[in-house]
Amino acid sequence: MQRSWNAMKKGMASFWQGLREWCGDAAYEKYTKCVLRSRQQGDLLSPTEFYVQQLNKKYSRPNRCC
Amino acid sequence: MKRVLQIFIWVALAMVAATALATIAFHRGEPISATWFVLAAGCSYMVAYRLYSAFIAAKLLALDNTRATPSERHDDGRDFVPTNKWVLFGHHFAAIAGPGPLVGPTLAAQFGYLPGTLWLIAGAALAGCVQDFVILFCSIRRDGKTLGEMARDEVSKRGGFIAQLAVLAIMIILLGVVALVIVNALKSSPWATFTLASTIPIALLLGMYLRFFRPGRVLEASLVGVALVLFAVVAGQWVADSPAWAKAFTLSGLTLTFAIIVYGFAASALPVWLLLAPRDYLSAFIKAGAMFSLATGIMLVRPHVLMPPLTHFADGNGPVFAGKIFPFCFITIACGAISGFHSLISSGTTPKMIQREVHARLIGYGAMLLESFVGVMTMVAACAMPPGVYFAINSPASSVGATPIAAAQTISSWGYPISAENMAALAHSVGELTLWNRAGGAPSLAVGMAKIFSTSIGGDRLLSIWYHFAIMFEALFILTVLDAGTRVGRFMVQELGGRVWKPLGRMNWYPGILISSALIVGSWGYFLYQGVVDPLGGINSLWPLFGISNQLLAAVALVVATTILLKMGRLKWIWVTLVPTAWLLTITMTASYQKIFSINPRIGFLSYANLLTAQIAAGKIPPAKIAETQRFIFNNRLDAVVTAVLASMILVLLVEAILQWHAILSRGQQPVLHETPYVPTQWAEGD
Repeated sequence: MQRSWNAMKKGMASFWQGLREWCGDAAYEKYTKCVLRSRQQGDLLSPTEFYVQQLNKKYSRPNRCC
Repeated sequence: MKRVLQIFIWVALAMVAATALATIAFHRGEPISATWFVLAAGCSYMVAYRLYSAFIAAKLLALDNTRATPSERHDDGRDFVPTNKWVLFGHHFAAIAGPGPLVGPTLAAQFGYLPGTLWLIAGAALAGCVQDFVILFCSIRRDGKTLGEMARDEVSKRGGFIAQLAVLAIMIILLGVVALVIVNALKSSPWATFTLASTIPIALLLGMYLRFFRPGRVLEASLVGVALVLFAVVAGQWVADSPAWAKAFTLSGLTLTFAIIVYGFAASALPVWLLLAPRDYLSAFIKAGAMFSLATGIMLVRPHVLMPPLTHFADGNGPVFAGKIFPFCFITIACGAISGFHSLISSGTTPKMIQREVHARLIGYGAMLLESFVGVMTMVAACAMPPGVYFAINSPASSVGATPIAAAQTISSWGYPISAENMAALAHSVGELTLWNRAGGAPSLAVGMAKIFSTSIGGDRLLSIWYHFAIMFEALFILTVLDAGTRVGRFMVQELGGRVWKPLGRMNWYPGILISSALIVGSWGYFLYQGVVDPLGGINSLWPLFGISNQLLAAVALVVATTILLKMGRLKWIWVTLVPTAWLLTITMTASYQKIFSINPRIGFLSYANLLTAQIAAGKIPPAKIAETQRFIFNNRLDAVVTAVLASMILVLLVEAILQWHAILSRGQQPVLHETPYVPTQWAEGD
């Protein structure tokens, strides 16, 4: 019973994380982790700067199809 | 033992697929259950994925799990982001799934359900998925280079330039056509117009929230936005019931045309966070929900398909669009089976986010199979309504007659009984003033979806709500394609124009933004305008033009892929890309030739222009209509020139590629492959 409950909790957590990554909620977290890993903290963008910069990039190339 | 069981399961699935395909192919007389379509498509896709995509991955591409992908080598948390394969599958599918698989199969249903369904299944498995998969692989091996860059590096400089121009041309035609679908869905419908108009302030609100209050919190903002949009669908009924408000939101085709042109200009020129991005978020959630609901609804309700397998419009005299099954069924289905536009996504963001080469099989091949499944579901929804209703909604007045009684008589005379009273009752039950002559695919699909949804939830009481939900879903995500496409088109115009006049190339120079936005909006706006005013134009001429350009781009992508594979020494398996390339070139060149030179004025642009010229010369056109007729003549000649230019560009690229192939095969030239050097992955197997 406990094992099934744990498996279900793990599955739901993975789904939630996947959903956050798919819709873009987790993008800033991933970005900060990457910057911290590469030790270039001086270049760290604020959440607003990062959000606007990502949108400008995304919508400057084909990203929605027919 | 496990292996024997696996073989048994796959043989059983293949037999179910074959039985279901045979049933839908040879069934005659009685209506057929939609279950056969779900089984035929689902089992065929599973077998194709298990066998054909595995064969391509192993033999043709030799995917290498030990090779570091661009996302590992350049991981910067911005462009190159290693992403879980299922999340990336969702991203990729959301990007490739557009209005094409909803509109194309609906229009192709005029031939009957069989030709379109067979092409959706076979075309996806053997051509569309192959293109997406191979281009994704090629781009991964080149640090995420675009199709144009790969064409320039691997085929020739001219090839790259042609690919870039082809993309821009296709974008303009695509935007004009999808805008026309919206116009035909919204005209004379205050409910639908109000609902769609409401999404603009809702998107602006979301944009402000995401920019100033909770940057990047897309999920919470989108959930609020979706709730508001659903409320707008319900509120639309109150608007339609109020005489004063209904009058304000009852717009003609021409008024809607200008409103959409102004909107497109604003979406292109305004900051992207304000309108475009939040609308895209709303659209993504509603699109995913509606497609899932449609597939679930069809599996639960299992409606009967009432359309015959083949109609007599296979002879080329269809009322929705003119032309025989070959080549026009393939041109019309377009994106549900193979879409050139997908190659831009497969060589765009996706290769920069993929974690491992082997994931390209699921993402490239698998996502396209899912898109094709959406196409098959659309075909079922369109064919589940009585054929008379289907033709009444999708046939323009010029084909069936301007009054309901005349149109009902014409359609009944084809053997698909329908009465003006039945259509009036149907329009009333879905909350519309009329459903006659609503060509474009959106209203008929909405009727089909509403019937399926209301059988599951709410019954006839909720039919009108479901209908307007379906219209809102289609229009919302078509408008998203329009916003995003106009903006990308603007960037392309700035990039190309910057080579001639430097200031135009500066992306943050506001006059440049306004000029290039006006150029791109003016271009697709012109196609939209001619589609709305021309009695034989509209979907009849513009959708085939879009289909031809889209399939030509697919041919470009496959020519580039074939060149790369030949350079890699994969001659033995080259038929995997060469056969679809040859097929696409055959259908697109035949369709281009017929659209330009056919002597049938409903098919050939030039013969229609000549017919009108002769009518003016013979004095058959009243003086008040001469200026308008001369505009139609100009439009048809313009369409002929556009088709000829597109076909010629692709032929030039093909000649360049054939010269390359000859040089490689005759060993006259050492092939130069522009792959990034091999770097072993640092990630463990399970990462």
